[in-house]
Amino acid sequence: MEVKILEQNDEKVVVIEGRVDTVTAPELEMKVSPIWATPAITLVFDCEKLEYLSSSGLRIILSAHKQVTAKGGKFILRNLTNEVRSVIDLTGFSRILTIQ
Amino acid sequence: MEKKLVLKNEISEISKLAAFIEELGEELDLTPDLVFNLNLVLEEAVSNVILYAYPKGEQQEISLSANVSDNNLVFVLTDSGKEFDPTQAPDADITLSAEERQIGGLGIFLIRQIMNQIEYQRIDGKNVLTLGKQLN
Repeated sequence: MEVKILEQNDEKVVVIEGRVDTVTAPELEMKVSPIWATPAITLVFDCEKLEYLSSSGLRIILSAHKQVTAKGGKFILRNLTNEVRSVIDLTGFSRILTIQ
Repeated sequence: MEKKLVLKNEISEISKLAAFIEELGEELDLTPDLVFNLNLVLEEAVSNVILYAYPKGEQQEISLSANVSDNNLVFVLTDSGKEFDPTQAPDADITLSAEERQIGGLGIFLIRQIMNQIEYQRIDGKNVLTLGKQLN
């Protein structure tokens, strides 16, 4: 897994590449949790190159959404692949998250 | 067809599991969607064992077999850790709002959604979890 954090048009964009599984999820959480503490932020997870996401990754997505929205910000999932999108749909997350 | 994998109860072993499922996918010509879903299911089941079945620091093994007969793909996961029946774990409630959604409970929910057969047995001091998927 590779994580890049970019600043784009008032958004914090976290570009996630590769696999987010039980092994790599703690590293992702460590990198994004300082960001989701910022008030009124727009946090984007760019998932174009995200190949795999297990429930440990889904937990981080839910945490990010909860933390960001509780502080008046916006959380967005962007560029999901079909496989990742189907897991998001399966868990009912697509009803509660903003997906672009 | 039968394929076997033995893992240590260390979280880094999850990478070997991913490689095992990729290979299985190639051998059985499974769709990328199904390979993804099977990886998800087995990672949930195996990481549960790695994280909770044995006392910390105790080196143990976890065995996984995959069998196909009559278009039915069956995985059997065996460990000698403490008794745990994942089929009794409550599902995540996916109808709740984001604020009400709990962080946990997704693993067993995903297993139930993806697999056609889930059976747990305690045999000779071992947890034996059978997970079946009908192939089209």
